Amino acid sequence: MKEEKVRKMVREGYGKIAKAEKCGCGCGCGSQVSKQIGYTSDELRSVPEGADLGLGCGNPTALASLREGETVIDLGSGAGLDCFLAAKKVGSAGRVIGVDMTPEMLDKARANCRKSGYKNVEFRLGEIENLPIADNTADVVISNCVINLSPEKQRVFNEAFRVLKPGGRMLISDMVLLKPIPETVKKSVLGYIACVSGAEMKTEYLKLIANAGFKEVHVVEETPLSAELVFSDATVEAMIKEMSLTKELAEELVTPVVSVKISATKPSE
Amino acid sequence: MRPKLMEILACPIDKYHPLELHVFEEKDEITEGLIICPKCQRWYPIREEIPEMLPDELRKENEDLPFLKKWKNQIPEKIVKEGKPFNLTH
Repeated sequence: MKEEKVRKMVREGYGKIAKAEKCGCGCGCGSQVSKQIGYTSDELRSVPEGADLGLGCGNPTALASLREGETVIDLGSGAGLDCFLAAKKVGSAGRVIGVDMTPEMLDKARANCRKSGYKNVEFRLGEIENLPIADNTADVVISNCVINLSPEKQRVFNEAFRVLKPGGRMLISDMVLLKPIPETVKKSVLGYIACVSGAEMKTEYLKLIANAGFKEVHVVEETPLSAELVFSDATVEAMIKEMSLTKELAEELVTPVVSVKISATKPSE
Repeated sequence: MRPKLMEILACPIDKYHPLELHVFEEKDEITEGLIICPKCQRWYPIREEIPEMLPDELRKENEDLPFLKKWKNQIPEKIVKEGKPFNLTH
């Protein structure tokens, strides 16, 4: 698939999800899932209702490391869950900027922001391959199960590197592959939206991060996808139907997919 | 958006910073306005508080031109006539 076509499909797919409060990424759906992937009930209670669409792989560890006063950029902020949690951590001296290319998602995020009166969170419509952020301005770049959707991952990491201050850190969670998936799945648009087709081999993914200039690239955590969570996802269900897969074959397709949390640092010098 | 955001905003195309801000409507925050990259003459709308900083291929002429028309009296002539990716010169 052409890069632009992929981007358009993903944008439209997630636009629909935002409107219908449906599920996207094959990690499962809703706040029940958000709890399972590591957010505490307190955390989920503390954000405006509707901010958690349950689309992430979970990034609570990244949030835990945030310090008062820091500037945080969230790549693919969606309805804003991680932004709001991050905003609480960095306090009024810090700020959080969410970038998302789906207007419908941003509408949601903005509405959520208004509901809760957060003063240190801002959202903007933008593309993570072309960040509208000045060089050397962020302390932390976070992203939660989004980069796999980009057909140009190297550019995303280059951009993350560019906007970070020297010494700044990138803390992301995403889906990667431990072994290649079949071409038929790779070509499926739904597969893209469900974060399977776009997922990169883990070794390659780490290489892209290092290529961008990052040092201390570590996989902090690696979790296999729970088949049960994956199959409760409407998008995945549709994908299985679309490709008329048997359940066994579908299960075989998800096994190479793992959720990883990665930390990396932009060198100070 | 809040004006303070301009401190870290850059043009998504050429990464130029700082950008120019024009405010058309303001409540607690800027609700309608325009951000201009002085380097490449691209303009980005602020609509319903959200700065829309998309690259050219994701922008929609049929949504952006009406915006430019609506505020053309408050937008520098150079942008109205020569701004990218869309302008009112035909």
